Amino acid sequence: TALSCFISFSFQQRIEIHKLRQGDNLILGFSIGGGIDQDPTQNPFSEDKTDKGIYVTRVTEGGPAEVAGLQIGDKIMQVNGWDMTMVTHDQARKRLTKRNEEVVRLLVTRQSLQKAVQQSMMS
Amino acid sequence: MDDYDIRSAASILASVKEQEARFERLTRALEEERRNVSLQLERASQPTDRMSICNIGNGQPLATAWQQLVLQEQSPSNQTSIAMMQEPQEMVEETVTVEEDPGTPTSHVSVVTSEDGTTRRTETKVTKMVKTVTTRTVRQVPLGPDVLPSMDGSSPMGSYTDSIDRRFLKNGERYVGPQAPSTLGRSYNSYNDSYPESHEGQYRPYLGHDGYGDLSDSYGTLPRGGGSTYRPRYAYVPGSAYRPDDGNFTLPRRRDNYAAVAQPQVPVGSSVDLNRSQPERFQPEPYGLEDDNRSLGVDDEGYELDPDNSTVNRRTSAGVPERGRPHKGSRGYDDAVESEMVEERIPYVPGGYAAPLAQPERGSMASIDRLGKRSPSIDSIRKDPRWRDPDLPEVIAMLSHPIDPVKSNAAAYLQHLCYENDKIKKDVRHLKGIPILVGLLDHPKAEVHRKACGALRNISYGKDNENKVAIRNCDGIPALIRLLRKTSDMEVRELITGTLWNLSSYEPLKMVIINHGLQTLTNEVIIPHSGWESEPDKDSKPRDAEWTTVFKNTSGCLRNVSSDGAEARRRLRECDGLVDALLHALQSAVGKKDTDNKSVENCVCIMRNLSYHVHKEVPGADKYQELEAGQPTGTGGSQKKKKDDAGCFGGKKAKGKKNGDLDRNFDTLDLPKRSEAAKGFELLYQPDVVRLYLSILTESQNFNTLEAAAGALQNLSAGNWTWSTYIRATVRKERGLPVLLELLQSNSDKVVRAVSIALRNLSMDRRNKDLIGSYAMGELVRNLPSRQQRSAKNLEEDTVVAVLNTIHEIITDSSENARSLIQTQGIQKLVAISKSSQSPRETKAASHILQMIWSYKELRNALQKDGWNKSHFQSVSAAPKGSKAPAGRPGYDDSTLPLVDKSQDNEKSGSRDMIPMDELGPDGYSTIDHRDKERKYKSSDRTGDASEKEPLKNDTNRKNINRSNRASVNLVDARDIKPQPVDSWV
Repeated sequence: TALSCFISFSFQQRIEIHKLRQGDNLILGFSIGGGIDQDPTQNPFSEDKTDKGIYVTRVTEGGPAEVAGLQIGDKIMQVNGWDMTMVTHDQARKRLTKRNEEVVRLLVTRQSLQKAVQQSMMS
Repeated sequence: MDDYDIRSAASILASVKEQEARFERLTRALEEERRNVSLQLERASQPTDRMSICNIGNGQPLATAWQQLVLQEQSPSNQTSIAMMQEPQEMVEETVTVEEDPGTPTSHVSVVTSEDGTTRRTETKVTKMVKTVTTRTVRQVPLGPDVLPSMDGSSPMGSYTDSIDRRFLKNGERYVGPQAPSTLGRSYNSYNDSYPESHEGQYRPYLGHDGYGDLSDSYGTLPRGGGSTYRPRYAYVPGSAYRPDDGNFTLPRRRDNYAAVAQPQVPVGSSVDLNRSQPERFQPEPYGLEDDNRSLGVDDEGYELDPDNSTVNRRTSAGVPERGRPHKGSRGYDDAVESEMVEERIPYVPGGYAAPLAQPERGSMASIDRLGKRSPSIDSIRKDPRWRDPDLPEVIAMLSHPIDPVKSNAAAYLQHLCYENDKIKKDVRHLKGIPILVGLLDHPKAEVHRKACGALRNISYGKDNENKVAIRNCDGIPALIRLLRKTSDMEVRELITGTLWNLSSYEPLKMVIINHGLQTLTNEVIIPHSGWESEPDKDSKPRDAEWTTVFKNTSGCLRNVSSDGAEARRRLRECDGLVDALLHALQSAVGKKDTDNKSVENCVCIMRNLSYHVHKEVPGADKYQELEAGQPTGTGGSQKKKKDDAGCFGGKKAKGKKNGDLDRNFDTLDLPKRSEAAKGFELLYQPDVVRLYLSILTESQNFNTLEAAAGALQNLSAGNWTWSTYIRATVRKERGLPVLLELLQSNSDKVVRAVSIALRNLSMDRRNKDLIGSYAMGELVRNLPSRQQRSAKNLEEDTVVAVLNTIHEIITDSSENARSLIQTQGIQKLVAISKSSQSPRETKAASHILQMIWSYKELRNALQKDGWNKSHFQSVSAAPKGSKAPAGRPGYDDSTLPLVDKSQDNEKSGSRDMIPMDELGPDGYSTIDHRDKERKYKSSDRTGDASEKEPLKNDTNRKNINRSNRASVNLVDARDIKPQPVDSWV
C-alpha cells in the first residue's frame, strides 16, 4: 500500500544493490533496525522518535550495499516498490532477502549524515 | 391530486407526441449528428455506454436539435460517469467511495437488516442501480419516440412538438445530471439557457401543484402507484437529487418513452396511474438550482450516499404524506431504505414547487434539487389525460419485441415499475417476465442487457424470496456471471454484482452463487479492485484498493455467501487469490486510513467468517493441534495451562513449521518459520493479521467493522491449535489488549459483545489472563447492569451474558483475578444480577461467577469483611455443582469451543433468517446471535454450561500485581513489550 512519507526534510534516493552470493546465501551487506513491532525510541537514527520505519544500522565495508551507496542511518522507504514504512522488522527482513531476487531496489531517505551520527552517539 | 395528475399526464402525453413528430423529421439530420456524437463519445473512452447511446439515437427518429443537445450534455456526463465507473482511478474512487460509504454501508444494511437484513442491503444497492438507469434514460428518450411510433403507429406527434423538445431537453439534462454530478450541472445549465423561458412557463405550473408530491412518489411510491403513472416521477427524480434515484430517473425516461408510446395508444381512461406519472414538467426552475448543487459536489455525493441510507431517511417524515403514505404500506422491507428516500423528497414537496426558485430557503441543496426535478415531470404528465401507460402484460410482451430499443425500454420501464413495489415484482414473476429478462442478459446489445439487468436487480431486491428463486430457476445466476465475464461496462457490472448481492441474501442461493460465480467474482472484481497482484511487478508500487461500487457489491455478495456454513467457508478459503486480495485491500484501507466504508466492512466480515473454525476446518489443521487441547477436563488441565503461560510459546507448541526455540523469544513473528510466504487461506491465521485487525479496531468508526474485526480475533484466538496460541500471544505483543479494552467502552452493544468474547478467548493465554484480570476487570464490571438500572449503556442481554462469561473465564484458575473482581465492586453487581435479573441467562452466568469466587477460600475473609456470606454465592438458579464438573469437555476447549458452537448456531439461524451479512457474520462467528433470541439463549446456556464445567481451582501462585480497578492503557505485558532493538543482517 502506498503510505505517505512522514519525513519532510530529507531527500529520497534510489539505490540498486546487487546481492552477493556467499555460499548458499545471497547477501546485501547491511543490517536493518526498526519496524512497527520495535521500540522506536531506541532507534538512534531517527529524528522522530516515534518513527517506526526501517533503518540501515550497519553496512559491511566493501559489501554490495556500500558499493551501491547505502549509508548507515538511511531510512528504507521501499524495497522493490513495497512500502517499508509500516512493516514489522521481520517483514522488512523477508522482503529484502527474497531468494529469487538478485537485485534489490531501495528507495531511501537520508537525513544529514551528521545528524545521524550525533544521534547514534547520543544513544 | 388526481385531477392534477390527470391533467398533467395528458399534457405530458401531448408534448411527447409532439416531440415524436419532431424526431421523425429530424431523424436524418440527427443521424449525422449522432455519428459525430458517437465519435466524440468513443473518444471519451467509454465504448459501451457511448455506443449504446449512439445506437439508440441512431435507431430512433429523434429530433436533431434534441439529440444534439442531449448528446453533448450526455456525453460529458456519460464520460464522466463512465470514467468513474470503469476506471478505478482516483477521481472515480473518491466519488464512488464517498457516496457508497455513506449510503450503502452501515446503517441501512446492517441495522435494518438484522431481521430483514438482507433485504435492506439489497435495497441500497437498488437505489444505486436506479442511478445507472438514469444514464440510460437519456438514451431512452430518443428511443422512446422511435419505439412509440412503431408500437402505436398512431402517435400524435405533430401537436406535441414544442413540448417534446422541451421535455427531451429537460429529460436529457436531467438524466444526464443524475449520472454524473458534474456533468449534470452542465446539462442543466445548457438546457436552461436554450429552453428556459418556454419550459419554465409551462412546467412551473405543474410543479407547483402536484410536482412535489409526484416526485416523492416517484422515488418510493412510483412503483406502488401504478406502472404507467410512475414514469413521470422518475423523470423528476433522476435529474434532481440522488444518484440512487437514478433508477427513478431511468424510470421516468422509460415512462416518457412509454408514455409516448403507450399514451398515444391509450386514451385517458387510465387516469389513476397517470396522475402519478406526470413527470415532465418539473424541469423549469429546479434544474438551474440543481445544477448548482451538483456542481458543489457535496450534494452529489450526498445524494448518492444518502439516498439509500441517511439522507433519505431523515427527510422522510415531511415528504411522507403524499407518496410516502401509500408506499410505506407496500414497501415493507425496502421501506427502510426506500422510504427514507421518498420521505426526503417529500418534505420538500410542500414547498417544493417554489423551492426550485428559492433555493436558499430550502434546507438542503440536495433536497431542493430533488424536489424541483421531480415535480416538473409529474405535472406535465398529469395534465394530459388522454394517454395511458402500457399495462404490465404489455410491457412484458415488449421484452420480446423484435426491435431492440423496445426491449430495452420495456426492461427499463420494468425496472422503474418494480422499484420499491413488491406487488409489481410479484406480478412480473407471475407473468413469466423473469425468464425473459434473464434471457436478455445474453443479448448482444449493451443497451438491452443493461436494462434487463437493471430490472433484475430491482426484482431481486426485497424480502420476497420467490423472486430470487425465480431468477435462479431460469439459470439467472450463471447468466449474470456470464455477462460479468463478457462486459467491461462498469454500469452493467454494478448492476450484475448488485443483483448477485441481492440474491446472496437468500440462503438457498448462496451455494449456487459460489458454484457458479465465486472464482469469476474473485478474478473479475475482487482481485483487480483490491490492488493485489499475485506476482507484483518489482518496480511498481503496490497498488491500493479501489472502493468502487462494483467492489462493494461483490464483497457484499461474498460476505453473504461466506456465512453459509463450513462448505461455503472452505470454498471461499480455497478460492485462488480471494483471501490474498481481501487482506491486501484491508491493508490498503488501513494504510490510507480509510476504514469506515462499506467495502471494508464487507471485507472484514468475510475475513471474520472465513476465520471461523479455521483450527478445525483448514486442510492440515490436525497437524497443528496442541497436545493440551485433547487433554481431559480436570485440574491437570489448569496446571498445564499455567505452564504454557509461563512461556506462551512453550516448546510443546511448535509443531511442524514452528520453531520451538524461537517461540520463546518475544519476536512472535519469527515463530512460524516458513519455507515460503504464506498465501491463500494460510494468511487467515498468520500472526501478521493481528496487526491488521488491531489497526482496524483502532482506526475504524464503523461499528459493523469493529465488531467484525473483534470477531475475527475472537475466532482466531479460539481453539487449541498452534496458530491460535500464536495469535493470542501476538495480540498481547502487538499491544492489542489496550485496544480491545478501550473498545469495551464503546457505545455499540455488539462491539462490546464481540470484544468481550474475544477477551475471553484471549485469556486462554495465561499471561493475557493475568493482564486482562488486572486491567480490564473494572471495565468489564462497568458494563454490567447495576441494581436500579441496567448498565449505563443499557446493554442487551446477550452482551451482558458475554461479559459475565468473560469474567468467569478470567477468574477461572486465578484467585488474583477473582480478587481483582472483588476490588472492582463486582460482587455487588453480580449478586444483584443473580438475585434479581429478569434474564435467566444473566442470572445463571452471574451465579457461576459467584460460585467460582466462593471456591477461592483465601478470598472468603475479604468477602466476609465486605458483608457477604455464603448464601450470596450459592445461587438458586445456578446449575448444581455436580453438573458442572461432569461435563466431559476439556478445560480450555470448553470455554473457547462453546463460544464457537454458539456462533455456529447463530450463524445457521442467521442464514436461515436471510439476514444480511452484517448480522450473520458477527453472530455466527464470534458473538451471540442478535437475531434469533431463542438460539441465543441456547448458545448462552451452553456457554454457561461450559463455564460451569470447568473445575474450580485455587490458584495461589500468582504473583502480586497491582490490580487497579480501572483498566489502564498499560495493558501490555512488560516482558512482551521489551523493545529489544533488533538488528538483522540482510
